[in-house]
Amino acid sequence: MPAPHTDDIALRVRAIESLLVEKGLVQPAALAAIVETYETKIGPHNGAQVVARAWTDPAFKARLLSDATAAIAELGFSGVQGEDMVVVENTPTVHNMVVCTLCSCYPWPTLGLPPNWYKSAPYRARAVIDPRGVLTEFGVELPPEKEVRVWDSNAELRYLVLPERPAGTEGMDAAALAALVSRDAMIGTGVATSSSGAAR
Amino acid sequence: MPALPVENVDGLIATGATARMTDDVAPRFRPGDRVRVRNINPTTHTRLPRYARGKMGTVEADRGVFCFNDTNAHGEGHKPQHVYGVRFAARDLWGEQAAARDTLYLDMFEDYIELHVA
Repeated sequence: MPAPHTDDIALRVRAIESLLVEKGLVQPAALAAIVETYETKIGPHNGAQVVARAWTDPAFKARLLSDATAAIAELGFSGVQGEDMVVVENTPTVHNMVVCTLCSCYPWPTLGLPPNWYKSAPYRARAVIDPRGVLTEFGVELPPEKEVRVWDSNAELRYLVLPERPAGTEGMDAAALAALVSRDAMIGTGVATSSSGAAR
Repeated sequence: MPALPVENVDGLIATGATARMTDDVAPRFRPGDRVRVRNINPTTHTRLPRYARGKMGTVEADRGVFCFNDTNAHGEGHKPQHVYGVRFAARDLWGEQAAARDTLYLDMFEDYIELHVA
């Protein structure tokens, strides 16, 4: 079945929303507050701060890898869809990549809401069986000797990738480093480079 | 069910609701154990991806005790149990076309796996 046109979905969502409001199941002000929170406050810039801190503070990095939920909460990020976090570290020999084949599980407090492609059937189906093919389409070429680890977040844990710190960034502070950390690098469909940015 | 009031939104988002449980349940598996995923095919809610059923993996980590979605989703209780990070070789899941070194990790409820006796 072809995917319904975006306009059709928008129309359907509006119809459902007005029904929910009419029936008193949803307060429009609460809905607006939730949307505003994920549009302006919670997004990949949070995760980028976590990564930059880990790159610059070895003790924090150790805490992050042993108890990610608590370490991330130190920076003030916690809550819905990030209650039980696991951080997986990219190294010269391992590249991690996150998917949710069953639905669209995603670490909201650090990355915000998932992009549409993350929720799409093709990504969910192909990330597990052909991760290298998917990575190539994202522009990530990995040497064959590097292990690709796919994390299918099927239960209640939520995964965040700690990308490798790019070469040539030795003099940069955490704020400058955070600007190099893209959303895709923290999903594992991208890598951090000395010129990549959180815009993506 | 009363509607979520706007004044509760921030607190709810910041707190969430963990599925982790405090029940003192002894783990049946340990890191390093070789396990086989049970070939079960529930018609009801499950977090067991079909592609892993019947496959062999290795327990890598004990994630702690969690509420079991498969029963809780149907009002049949929390059935608290350990969840394990289980590592699978990509080739054990997908055959020879997969890269030899590649791996896949799943979080397996205890009810999904059984010890493999060689």
